[in-house]
Amino acid sequence: MNPRTALPIHHTRKDTESHFQHEAARRHRITLTINGETATLEVPPERTLLQLIRGDLHLSGTKEGCGIGECGACTVIMDGQPINSCLVLAVEADGCDIRTVESEIVDGQISDIQQALIDFGATQCGFCTPGFVMSARALLERNPDPSREEIAEALAGNYCRCTGYEPIIDAVAAVARAAKSGGYRSPEKAGAPYVGGDTARVDGLEKVAGSAIYVHDMVLPGMLHARMKVSPHASARIVRIDTSKAEAMPGVRAVLTGRDTDLKQGLYMRDKDVVARDVVRYQGEPVAAVAADSEEIARAACEAIAIECEVREPIRTVQEALAEEANLVHENLGDYHWMQGVFFPKPGTNIAHHQKIRKGDVDQGFKEADRIFEFEFENPPVQHVAMETHTAIAIAKPGGDVELITSAQSPFTVRNLFSVTFGIPHSKIRVKVPYVGGGFGGKAGIHLEPMVYLLSKMAGGRPVKMTCTREEEFHTIPSRAGLSSHIKTGVTRDGKITALEIRYLWNAGAYADYGVNVGRAAAYSGAGPYCIDNCKLDSLVCYTNRVFGTAFRGFGHLEVMWTVERNMDLIARGLGIDPLEMRLKNVLRPGDTTITGELFTEGHGRPDLCLERVAEEIGWKEYFANLPKTRGEITDGKARGKGIALLHKAPAMPTFTSCAVVIKFNEDCSVNILVSGVDYGQGTYTALAQIAADELRIPVEQVRVTFECDTDFTPYDWQTVASRFTVMGGNATIQAAQDCLRQIRDVAAQVFRAPPEMIICENSEVWVKGREEEKLPYSKFVMGYTYPNGNSIGGPVVGRGRYIAQGLTNLDPETGQGRPALNWTYGAHGVEIEVDTETGEIEVLEIASAFDVGRVINEQQCRGQVIGGVVQGLGSALNEKFVFDPDGRFVNPTFTDYKIPTAKDIPAVMKQFFIETPHPQGPHGARGVAEHPMVSVPSVVGNALANATGVEVFQLPLDPEAVYLALKHSGDRKET
Amino acid sequence: MAISRYSRPTSVAQACALLSDAPGRTALLTGGTDMAVSLRSGRDVDLMVDLKRIPELHTLGWSDEGELTIGACMTLREICESTPIRERFPALTEAAEVVGSYQIRCRATITGNLCNASPCADTIPPLLALGARIRITDPSGEREEPLDGFITHVKKTRLKPSEVVTAVIVPPPPPGSRNAFMRIQRLRGHDLALVNAAATFNPKTRAFTLAVGSVAPTPLLIPDLDDACPSGATPDEVGERLAERTLPHISPIDDVRASAEYRRDMTALLCRRLARRLMGNP
Repeated sequence: MNPRTALPIHHTRKDTESHFQHEAARRHRITLTINGETATLEVPPERTLLQLIRGDLHLSGTKEGCGIGECGACTVIMDGQPINSCLVLAVEADGCDIRTVESEIVDGQISDIQQALIDFGATQCGFCTPGFVMSARALLERNPDPSREEIAEALAGNYCRCTGYEPIIDAVAAVARAAKSGGYRSPEKAGAPYVGGDTARVDGLEKVAGSAIYVHDMVLPGMLHARMKVSPHASARIVRIDTSKAEAMPGVRAVLTGRDTDLKQGLYMRDKDVVARDVVRYQGEPVAAVAADSEEIARAACEAIAIECEVREPIRTVQEALAEEANLVHENLGDYHWMQGVFFPKPGTNIAHHQKIRKGDVDQGFKEADRIFEFEFENPPVQHVAMETHTAIAIAKPGGDVELITSAQSPFTVRNLFSVTFGIPHSKIRVKVPYVGGGFGGKAGIHLEPMVYLLSKMAGGRPVKMTCTREEEFHTIPSRAGLSSHIKTGVTRDGKITALEIRYLWNAGAYADYGVNVGRAAAYSGAGPYCIDNCKLDSLVCYTNRVFGTAFRGFGHLEVMWTVERNMDLIARGLGIDPLEMRLKNVLRPGDTTITGELFTEGHGRPDLCLERVAEEIGWKEYFANLPKTRGEITDGKARGKGIALLHKAPAMPTFTSCAVVIKFNEDCSVNILVSGVDYGQGTYTALAQIAADELRIPVEQVRVTFECDTDFTPYDWQTVASRFTVMGGNATIQAAQDCLRQIRDVAAQVFRAPPEMIICENSEVWVKGREEEKLPYSKFVMGYTYPNGNSIGGPVVGRGRYIAQGLTNLDPETGQGRPALNWTYGAHGVEIEVDTETGEIEVLEIASAFDVGRVINEQQCRGQVIGGVVQGLGSALNEKFVFDPDGRFVNPTFTDYKIPTAKDIPAVMKQFFIETPHPQGPHGARGVAEHPMVSVPSVVGNALANATGVEVFQLPLDPEAVYLALKHSGDRKET
Repeated sequence: MAISRYSRPTSVAQACALLSDAPGRTALLTGGTDMAVSLRSGRDVDLMVDLKRIPELHTLGWSDEGELTIGACMTLREICESTPIRERFPALTEAAEVVGSYQIRCRATITGNLCNASPCADTIPPLLALGARIRITDPSGEREEPLDGFITHVKKTRLKPSEVVTAVIVPPPPPGSRNAFMRIQRLRGHDLALVNAAATFNPKTRAFTLAVGSVAPTPLLIPDLDDACPSGATPDEVGERLAERTLPHISPIDDVRASAEYRRDMTALLCRRLARRLMGNP
């Protein structure tokens, strides 16, 4: 670190005065009614109503998700109509009546719509929820009795990435129905035991009320606003940067470029400059950043920075990356720091990691085969689209302490990576994570924090906040990598796989981030949940000049299962056998080993039962019997088809992954659970509350899971990724609860003069076995017991629990053999679709999904994960893709042209089934199921498409144009 | 700064006076749903004239002959909710219903959709097919012009800086005639059209009009359809003839939303589907 200037930039008094005089002259005085109260304000004409509501009126329930009226997070009611407040100028609202989500709360009580959203599990991360509340309110005011279609139409202008919309539609329909019979009332919730029930989401109320505070909403005293300037080129050498104009602008407090720091950040590979230095490696890479008094000034200053570049030919594809004498994306790869023994970059090439899996003898396996099939598949990069974009506040404190408040999934990983980059001791870094508006893997690592910290340092330690625009979220923040795959399978005539050879080439973009671990995880999972005796698999993570890849719900599994599960159907079709039977013939069963040599046991779960369940649900057997007749049959331009697909996934994490939980008793016998895994919508905190309540024998209402992780206060947790938190955090919670009870028992044993093992804790009360008449409430013990004479013993009860992954090993560098997985979750989807063969549009009529979750902790939330995951998977299946121009520029980084599913795009029927084969190490036998619902959704739709039309598609997404052109250019159509 | 001056006249005359006096870049504001996006992208405006407080621009008028006059500030929601429009000009209703989301339609106006002059604007093909005119007011008075020809290129119209489009006029449809709008999009939620098209059909005279959008720099009214529908021709035959006459006029491009090939084929498909819809049993 070479601080160029320690002090903020100075401006002349004259400049500043004339600036403010001019600004004052442009202002308009407006008066409006906001939630029933009159407000008069002076605003510049370009200020939006959204900025007025959030910035001037300090009503933070209304959110900004895109700024262009596509996502609906900013929906408010203006003179009775729902509108996008980001598209209305504040001056236009002069004289108008505005209602925001805050108006729904009357006398401290949430409204019927808000209550129903909680009851139906219709809020997860909660960031979009206030917008939905307002759209729903406006709908019910204009149409008290809407049909489901009318509800979907009214809500389609509001994006939700978590819930899959169905629970929201159900909630609004329930409120409308109840209006005819005296108003909406919540159903009764079951009492203890809570595990297996459907305890309401612990954070539901704050989220529906709009009072949950996200980093997005935070403003600190003296806070500066930062913006970044990003590279317009995919590959270039920076020749010159001129920041003088920006530095001279009134209100600019710090300007950061690559000249100011040579530090690198990275998770498994430290390969990324905090701000591009000398070289830019993707279009969208930050090359400068400005902190200023306002966001407008910071933006204008960024525009005033001149950058001269020598543009280079970008590496766009994996083929270009792997070509002989290819340009190197990282010329100094060999000098970087990386996690040794786990990742194997190849200096002098564009290979960031090469994961090999070698099992058995593939040559022999192919000799034993009756038939050999070879196919190639493609996945485009796609985005997480969390509704809250990345945002961080940094404070560089005097004395070198650092405080970071960030929308991140993993506070301790942010702290650790920050410490590694800057060489600052962990104890001097404090990372706080409040409510997070969705993550899906995109907020797993470290992103904006180092840049924002440097700005704060340059601005004399003032807090600096940077929030990505939606465009930056797309082209600057990492995404899901692209994948090109080649799969060669040897099979016997009846469908038994004898050999499998796979090459996965990941277009991981400019930096390794999580991409190298995606390439690793997707390798050890890369043959699917099948017993393959002879397997050769190579997974190469390639650097290219594109926005880089990171963790994304499914962590490479959606992509490889597109290959594996389409491959199974293609082979079955080639052999003329039932793809269900073929899968069951090869599926892992107790006694088999996985491709890394892991023994498959009863406790692993039942992929076969998942598949059979969904096959039965969609009537697969009868359908398949008629398939030779119906395949490719088109009636009135429509073709129908069904499909099935299997899936599996295990947490991808280091062998030593661990977490800790602290449970603190309060005076009234309620408890606070402190964890550092983040609940960014997936519902883990509710599961932990249920587990703790059952273990502590107290009502779940008395359990509070603290929503704000703070590395100064909450105990260590590795990362909130990989669907591991309920399993690991659940185990640690059980241990912490038992620690609490042990402390209560120890004191009670003295009080009752009985051995601790004779003490019973039940229903918030303590007694000695057989002496129930003497029982005392927990509250007598949890702060220490006081005898009648005043003597006291014990003390505050604080329980500690921890869990570290058991039995995992690193994978052998040459063969990939080892035990990588804490627990596998298996699942399957079955689907029926209708294809409009004239347009190529696919409509998913029904999807049935089954997962072996070991034990359902919370049924409503399990369903919520499945519905939300399936709909997100349908986005990958049917629409989502990044489009690049020939120069490697990302051309659809907005919601205008990157389309995600809306309330009108969900299947009419979505069914969820849970198989419960207990996992030996899981809390109550539970496994994770957060990512899995998304995996194999594209595969099952692709299989159904082939069955409907006879046309095989190998590339995602299956958007109308792709399907239409595939049909057009195949000769495989039958008209009836 | 994005907007130097904002003004909110209460009459068309005031608006015209403001515009004719104003130097620099002026902009008219109705619904603002496109304007706000362009301001966010860095558009600078010296004078923004907000027309929404002019009462006469918020009217929907029907002449005795059935001619419809839509005031410039009528929102797409208001157009969607008008039963007489739905009965007589379903093509216009159907187009208005797919513009953006419900929230967008609560703000967006029909003249905004016209004057923004996007090649994929959904309300333009029906208005072209229905033979709509626009009323333009400037300091010297008011005149009417056919909509066809008003839009000159992508995002360009013939409107001069001192002029205001105050209304859209849709002539009465011939008795017994039908009209419809259809489009192709990427998903069912709010999206921009990959191709859109509207047509009218008079069963008595067998006359067709047809306009298509998103396949050329401007929405196109297809000429020379007089013999597209000879008596006795089936809807599919007519659809093919409409497509044959339409395709030579379009010049679709490959872009982020779709390929030229898909757009061309979907244009032909919409011709066939419109013929089927309009010639089928009502």
